[in-house]
Parts: sequence; C-alpha cells; structure tokens
Amino acid sequence: MDADDTGNRLRFQLELEFVQCLANPNYLNFLAQRGYFKDKAFVNYLKYLLYWKEPEYAKYLKYPQCLHMLELLQYEHFRKELVNAQCAKFIDEQQILHWQHYSRKRMRLQQALAEQQQQNNTSVK
Amino acid sequence: MAMAAAAAAAAGAGPGAGVTAGGGGGERSSTRDRLLAALEDLELLARELIEILAISRNQKLPQPGEESQILELLIQRDGEFQELMKLAVDQGKIHHEMQLLEKVVEKRDNDIQQLQKQLKEAEHILATAVYQAKEKLKSIEKARKGAISSEEIIKYAHRISASNAVCAPLTWVPGDPRRPYPTDLEMRSGLLGQMNNPSTNGVNGHLPGDALAAGRLPDVLAPQYPWQSSDMSMNMLPPNHSNDFMLEPPGHNKENEDDVEVMSTDSSSSSSDSD
Repeated sequence: MDADDTGNRLRFQLELEFVQCLANPNYLNFLAQRGYFKDKAFVNYLKYLLYWKEPEYAKYLKYPQCLHMLELLQYEHFRKELVNAQCAKFIDEQQILHWQHYSRKRMRLQQALAEQQQQNNTSVK
Repeated sequence: MAMAAAAAAAAGAGPGAGVTAGGGGGERSSTRDRLLAALEDLELLARELIEILAISRNQKLPQPGEESQILELLIQRDGEFQELMKLAVDQGKIHHEMQLLEKVVEKRDNDIQQLQKQLKEAEHILATAVYQAKEKLKSIEKARKGAISSEEIIKYAHRISASNAVCAPLTWVPGDPRRPYPTDLEMRSGLLGQMNNPSTNGVNGHLPGDALAAGRLPDVLAPQYPWQSSDMSMNMLPPNHSNDFMLEPPGHNKENEDDVEVMSTDSSSSSSDSD
C-alpha cells in the first residue's frame, strides 16, 4: 500500500515533468521525428494527460502553456505537421514573441510616462 | 291592395324564411314560395270566378254550382294565405332575433380572440423569462463549482510570473538561454531526466550545481528544478489508470515508459550542448 502510494507520487511527478516538456516545441519536433506520435498507445497517453487541465492539477504547473500544446496535440494534423523543423521553429518564435508581450507593453508604458514627464517639465519651464 | 302588401311581406320574409325551410330537397318549399303559390292560386281563382260571373250574365250556366265551388276554393285559399302571412311575420321576427344574436356571438368571438392573443403573448413572455432564469441558475451553478479563492489565484499568478515562465524577464535579449518552456538542460536535470541516471553524478558527469558554479547558468535554474514545488506536490496523486495505453480510453494503459527513458538518454537533435 505504501509502495503503491510512493509509486503513484513518483508517477505524479514524472507526468508533471513530462506534460510541461510538451511546451517545448523543439522537444515536440524531436518526438515527431522519432515517430512517437504515430504510436497509438502514445496518442492515448496524450489524451490521458488531459487531466492536467483540471484546476486541482493545473495549479502545479509552472508552464501552463503546455496545456495549450497538449490540446493541439490531440489533433492528428498538428502531430503530423510537427515533423517539419520549420513548423517547430515557427511555434518557437511565436512563443517567444508572446512571452515578451508584457515586457514590451511595460516598456511602452514607461516610454509614454517618460514622454509625459518630459512634456510637463518643458511646459513648467 | 292587400295582395300588394302581401307580396312585399313575402319578399321581405323570403330570404330569411327561405333558409329555414329550404333544407328538405323538394318536399318543403320555403314560406316565400308557398306565399307566392297561394297568391297565384288566389289570382287564378279570382279570374275564373270573374269569367264565370261574366259568362253567366250573358248565357245560362253550363255547370251549375261551379261558381260556389270556385268561391269555396277561393275562401279556402284565402284562409291558407292568411295563415302563411302570420307564419311569415313570425319568421321575420325570429330572423331579426337571430341577426341580433349573431352580432352578439361575433362580438364574443372577437373578445375571445383578443384574450387568446394576450394569453399567448403572456405565455411567450413567461417562457422567455423562465428560460433566462434557468440559464442564469445554470451559470451561477457553474461559477460556484469553479470557485477558487482569490488568494490562491494570486499565489499561482505570482509563481508563474516570478519565475519568468509566462512573462519574459525584463532584461531578456536574443541570445539569452531562458525560454518560456523547459529547456533541454532543465528537462535533463529533472526527475524524468534522472531516471536513467540513477547515479549521483548527474547528467554527463556534471551536476547542475557545477554549471552554476562555473557561472554559466542563471540563478533561476539552480538547484530549484522547475517542477519541484516540492512542498506542495509531495502529497498529490495522479488519476488512476490501468497499465496498458494500447486500449482505447478510458481504459488507459501503461505509459510507454520505455519511450520516456529513451527520451532522456538521447541527445536532442536541435538542442545546444548541454554542459
């Protein structure tokens, strides 16, 4: 019983790590090129992993983006496309650009604020 | 003179009386027809009588007693005629009443239709209201089910942003190895990656701590592996599943642990060098 529990806890951590690895498009490309996506058992496993979408599990995810990738992976077309390196590269670029979204926004705000302050200064003078 | 009045009455009573008595095929003629027939008879008899009287003035009666016969017929017919007239008057009254009643019926019909319309409208409005109320209840139920304390959400938001998992670090430039997903290095240093390297030598003989000491890893990676929020996740269990993923779900089966191990030992084709 205890061994079972430990085994299950270990499985929890392993699955937690694995599902988050799916956020890495290069890793997905790796898996696609080695034909894992053609394995029916693997596809079923991906479907099983959808339990990470439940809030009581999702709160352990550090990279919640992986859930989106997991959802996309349920579609065969997506799995097939991932064999291309360009596809993976494109996803990678878009992910990074999206990642920077808030820092860009913040920079813009800061710039706007700086400009405003400058204007105030010049008008005061 | 009397006959002219009678004819007018017959014409007036005709349309109404015609309806009441016309239903018997040819057996019962309408009051109007009977009145007209009686009138014709009277006219005929009157004419005959006058002819006979005219003839008898000049010559002897060919048939004695004929004028009395005719007279009798005349009287009889007149009696019938008077009765028919009375009948016609009664029928006229009834017809008039019928018309009044019909008007009342029509009015009532309109009232009923009006009420029907209003009822239908009311029903429609109520149905809409009930439907929307049900929808609201459903969404309330749904919201209640998914209720999460704001504190937890804030904690989670802090965790994923502070580690730069969902938001790029402010000093990020192209060339910075950090990524919005676990990098190769992180993957290998995690539990999954360590599964085929049970030795404590770490990956390829290097411990991640070494790389940190060598100054090549940012602080974020050492030794706090991305997925070990260990205080939290130690007691968590994944959903149960049977051991063979070859079958269709929900009979989910064994993960291909072999593949998982293979993943960790193979060097990824597109990764940079791991040390």
